[in-house]
Amino acid sequence: MNKRNMIGLLILSLLMAVQVAVAADSKGDMAKMDNPMAVKAADAITKAEAARKKAASVDGEWRDTGKFIKKAEEAAKAGDYEKALKLAKKAEDEGKLGYEQQVSQRELKMPSYLKY
Amino acid sequence: MRLTVMGREIMKKILISLAVLALTATGVQAGPEEDRMAFVKYYKAKFPSVPDKEYANGVYAIDPVGRENWEAIEEFPPYEPFIDAGKEMWEKPFANGKGYKDCFPDGPAIQHHYPNWDKKQKMVMTLPLALNQCREANGEKPLKYKKGPINNILSYIAFQSRGQVVNVKVPMDDPGAVAAYEEGKKFYFTRRGQLNFSCASCHLQNTGLKVRTEILSPSVGHVTNWPVYRSKWGTVGTLHRRFSGCNNNIRAKALKAQGRQYRNLEYFLSYLSNGQEFNGPGARK
Ligand code: HEC
Repeated sequence: MNKRNMIGLLILSLLMAVQVAVAADSKGDMAKMDNPMAVKAADAITKAEAARKKAASVDGEWRDTGKFIKKAEEAAKAGDYEKALKLAKKAEDEGKLGYEQQVSQRELKMPSYLKY
Repeated sequence: MRLTVMGREIMKKILISLAVLALTATGVQAGPEEDRMAFVKYYKAKFPSVPDKEYANGVYAIDPVGRENWEAIEEFPPYEPFIDAGKEMWEKPFANGKGYKDCFPDGPAIQHHYPNWDKKQKMVMTLPLALNQCREANGEKPLKYKKGPINNILSYIAFQSRGQVVNVKVPMDDPGAVAAYEEGKKFYFTRRGQLNFSCASCHLQNTGLKVRTEILSPSVGHVTNWPVYRSKWGTVGTLHRRFSGCNNNIRAKALKAQGRQYRNLEYFLSYLSNGQEFNGPGARK
């Protein structure tokens, strides 16, 4: 075998190894998605993110909403779906409240203690 | 039905007072000068012994104990090295040979031009934004808006501008400028965050009260002393960094430094300080 062929073979085997690794990983995800709790958690996180974005669209996002979503994602990844659900629900509630807070003040009302 | 002369008079009076009532109930019709006067009157009633000019000193206008500490700190100002570093920045040419001096020919004492309504760009122009526009026009990277070297050049400009007077103008014949002012005012009075506070909740309604270890300052005078060396930061920071901090404290997500919302807030807030002297850089807790 000459040198060029050697390198070619090496690259090929490397590529194959990567492919196997990727397949194994997505197989893991598939297994997770078979778990109804995993599906529920993923759904809750999607909803939380949508609520966060909606609040942000009216400058009403709260400080920790994004952090809760990040932690929920981490928990789901680690297989702790109960925790993920709880955090995502909290984030979704905050998103909704932050949005409502701004919409309810759409019109500027001056406080009565400020006298003109 | 025929009204007597007296009856007609009474009717007229009722109608007039109704109209007046409607106006004060909303207050939305008030322009910048009416807003400023209302703030000044409000603080005057709350702090009758504080002279007008004192408001430029922030919380130390109303907190005699904090003031003693502050005066001691000002004897060896912690912001001095930043002024020196800023002078170097001001004088050092960019890679293309030009410099800040070319963008701001009447510099470095240019604090009193800002913030202003930029008719061409149809937006509120602040000093930090103008500095970065100068840099970018000359092929330099923009500086970050909250921490870092922007505070050096801001310190130098502030120091050179001491004694200038806040003189913000809102051209009432320019709907864009009026809208920007109104948006800033709305931001100031809007409750946000988990704690559901507005800037007004702390810096107007509860001015003078204590939050944890700090006394709440009046908003008249809020813009005179920037950038500020804060002991808590251990360095000098910008006004928009403080906006972020105040938003975070009420558990609201801070908006972007030098984004539209904070610039419009600065426009409104600065108008309230019209007539106050610039005295930056400042030192605060
Ligand atoms: C929970 C109460 C609270 C709210 C709400 C709040 N702040 Fe503050 N703010 C403080 C405290 C405490 C300080 C530090 C003491 C002082 O100077 O008032 C401070 C300081 C400041 C300063 C610095 C003053 C100086 O002299 O350096 C500015 C400017 C400011 N706030 C602006 C705002 C703006 C604008 C808002 C609304 C976006 C806001 N604050 C909302 C509590 C609050």
